[in-house]
Amino acid sequence: MDETPSTENIVERAYDALRTVWDPELAIDIVTLGLIYDVRAVDGGVEVDMTMTTPGCPVSDSLPAEATIALQNEFPQMSVWVNVVWDPPWDPSRIGSDGSNITGVLGGI
Amino acid sequence: MTQPSIPLAAMPGSTTAVVPPQWIPLGFMFASGVGFTGVGFSMWFGADKWVISPFHSATVTTAHMVMLAFLTTAVLGALHQFGPVVGQRPLRSVHVAAWTMVGMIVTGWTLPLGFAHGPEWLVATGAVIGVTTVTLAAWNLSGPLMSRSGGVPVVGLRLSVLYLLITVSFGIVYAFNRQEGWFPLLPTKILAHAHLGILGWLGLTYISVSEKLWPMFLLSHRPSSRSGAIAVGGLAIGVLPLALGLLYTNPPAAWFGAVFVVVGLAAHLFSLASSVRHRRRKLELLHAFLFVSASFLLVGMVLGAIAALGDVDASLRIRIVTAEIAALASWLGLAVIGHSHKIVPFITYSMLRARGVNNHKSGRPLLFGDLYNKKIAWGVLGASVAAFTGIVVGTLVDSPVPIALSGILIAITAITVTTNFIVGARSATPASSTSDQIRQRPSSTSILTKGPS
Repeated sequence: MDETPSTENIVERAYDALRTVWDPELAIDIVTLGLIYDVRAVDGGVEVDMTMTTPGCPVSDSLPAEATIALQNEFPQMSVWVNVVWDPPWDPSRIGSDGSNITGVLGGI
Repeated sequence: MTQPSIPLAAMPGSTTAVVPPQWIPLGFMFASGVGFTGVGFSMWFGADKWVISPFHSATVTTAHMVMLAFLTTAVLGALHQFGPVVGQRPLRSVHVAAWTMVGMIVTGWTLPLGFAHGPEWLVATGAVIGVTTVTLAAWNLSGPLMSRSGGVPVVGLRLSVLYLLITVSFGIVYAFNRQEGWFPLLPTKILAHAHLGILGWLGLTYISVSEKLWPMFLLSHRPSSRSGAIAVGGLAIGVLPLALGLLYTNPPAAWFGAVFVVVGLAAHLFSLASSVRHRRRKLELLHAFLFVSASFLLVGMVLGAIAALGDVDASLRIRIVTAEIAALASWLGLAVIGHSHKIVPFITYSMLRARGVNNHKSGRPLLFGDLYNKKIAWGVLGASVAAFTGIVVGTLVDSPVPIALSGILIAITAITVTTNFIVGARSATPASSTSDQIRQRPSSTSILTKGPS
């Protein structure tokens, strides 16, 4: 009989799942890129607040869908909600140090 | 590390639900690459005629290869992808999109071949096919472009497609005039046609699209997009009176239009500077293409001003105007080649993902940068800049040698850039199986967007 995962466990597994989703243009996973603002375990599911690097980007538009799929694969029996939010707006300071060091894609003006 | 592989088209909020099959835009882009190769050979073999007269049949052949087989084919292909994305509505018909592609290929080669070798009915036939093709494209694109969302880019694209229709209408009249002799085809009438095509159709399209693409590709968060709106408005308002002024040899109308065009183009350059200034990425290949492309625009504007205001004899004025048109075509050519290094990998990526190819052969997730060789792309930049510079300089100094060398370089560049994308796509390794990664989907799934989109 399966044990009910703890809230901490769900959040940790959700972040791990989201790290499998990469921005194909910037070559960084969306967690390291700083697109994930919040992950919450809610009643019967997991809810994520994420943003995108810039509004209206067709590439970024596919990322919430991919994030949803990654979460579905990780939690096949749970509901998944991915909210795309724009406040606060994303900026490069949100990139994890490992991301900027690994890729060197982004930089200051 | 693996990525999820449920088709994105099945997901709510995904643009893959509105864009046509990837082979449509990729087919256009491949045809444009072949057309660009044809431009190179046409320029190479016609270089000695080019300096004799811009109205020589060999020069007219090359000009139509550039406009139709290369630029219009590429831009129409991009619009078939981009229109549905910004309008968030699909094309009216994928079948019509496919026929548009076929029609553009036929037009792009038939019309120039008719100019180069005859018989004369080939020109008229190419023109009829061209008008039919463009009319179909306009009807098809009106689906996404009539959307109320999308802002300035969508408004600009509606007007640019209108300019395309006007341009081909001029073209078919000129084509039949060759046989019927309705009116003398004076240089100013040809210039009206050229400016409608380059500025009204291709220029306005590029300016409109760049207002959407640059913030995205440069990660640019500009405080204001007013310069983009001025650019689109200036060109949209100015090109028609400019063309009519040239057509009817009416200087006040031409100057009225020219002022709006110059304001629009200047605003476009300001918009580029603003996007670069507020970018959040390091400088890369696309920026280099954008900078040199903008430089050719500046050269074209300066040459146009000299031709209009300078105290020069008729022969030199014709050379300057020809160089102006060549510089403007170079502006757009470099923009097309540069943006193709973003657009083609993006569409190819979507195609590979839809086929279950998620990872590069190294095992990590597939990236856009995997889909072409960057060193070759930088080489393409250098070669294309050298080629376009050779054409403008060769025209100004009245020498066929730089033009012929540029033709050779263009042919090599076109083959290289096209091959680079094909080989790049083949470097991705197909996933062994995708079905085992797809698990039972949950009963409840949602993606919510809060705020701007």
